[in-house]
Amino acid sequence: MRSLRWFGLIAFILFVVAAFTPLANLLNVRMAGIADVGPSDAIVVMGRGGADTDGVLTNRSLRRVFRGISLYEGSHAPLLVLSGSADEVRSRMALARGLGVPETAILTVSHAHTTREEAEQLGKLLLPLGRRRILLVADPIDMPRSRALMERGGFVVRPAPTAASGPSNPESRLGLVRDIAIELTAWAYYRLTGAL
Amino acid sequence: MDSLFILGIIALTSLVAYFWGTRGFGLRRERLTQATIEVLECLGLAVVFLVGNLAAGVALTLGLRALTGRFISIYWLNDISVLALSLLQALVLHSWLRRSN
Repeated sequence: MRSLRWFGLIAFILFVVAAFTPLANLLNVRMAGIADVGPSDAIVVMGRGGADTDGVLTNRSLRRVFRGISLYEGSHAPLLVLSGSADEVRSRMALARGLGVPETAILTVSHAHTTREEAEQLGKLLLPLGRRRILLVADPIDMPRSRALMERGGFVVRPAPTAASGPSNPESRLGLVRDIAIELTAWAYYRLTGAL
Repeated sequence: MDSLFILGIIALTSLVAYFWGTRGFGLRRERLTQATIEVLECLGLAVVFLVGNLAAGVALTLGLRALTGRFISIYWLNDISVLALSLLQALVLHSWLRRSN
């Protein structure tokens, strides 16, 4: 029972630190790294969160696609590559076209279940076209693993993370800490299985 | 600012509960430490259940993927209900242990 008390105390302290201090925000900024926006062969918007049953993109997915479209409008690359589940890609494509991105400038990848599969499929799509230098759009916490997988797949990656500072209220910080824990676990799993 | 507001509310209602308990229900102050320790034990048990539930979920997901060849998402485990139910499991087991002792 004594060890349970220590588990409980540690859990309580971690909860207070996660919810009521900016530690999660600092980790978020650190994981984002430094953005490197510049001339590239393509803008790759990684999938995240999918779309709801009514076809509306989730908050995370929406942020990413807006970032990608903004980079396209800034003429940083001639191609916008949208990745994700079939519903997510469909909704992203409709949004991009609605905001003026021509269909001829959009490529899609929609059959991947995992980030590793996503990186493989993006490689099969873009590398034969000679599109090696990419602006990679992902959330700050997803950037390290996504970037590492894409670089391993043969791309030269310029990171273009979405907003880096993260949320400021306790509930959202707890959600961010949960997502960071998931991402670090996924990183460890990919290292163990040799994917990274 | 919202963090301070929330912590302030919790501190206030905790104080109210303390005075209500000691003056209204005649609770003894010396027992508060023991009660806090029991809560920490329960919390620790909840952590054990949470880790166990997640480990079981991951093992089952990867096992089913390997056996069936179908993709099953590990993100199904990414749900607040796992945390809530782990806490419930801990409460039940902790109460059971106390009664057994």
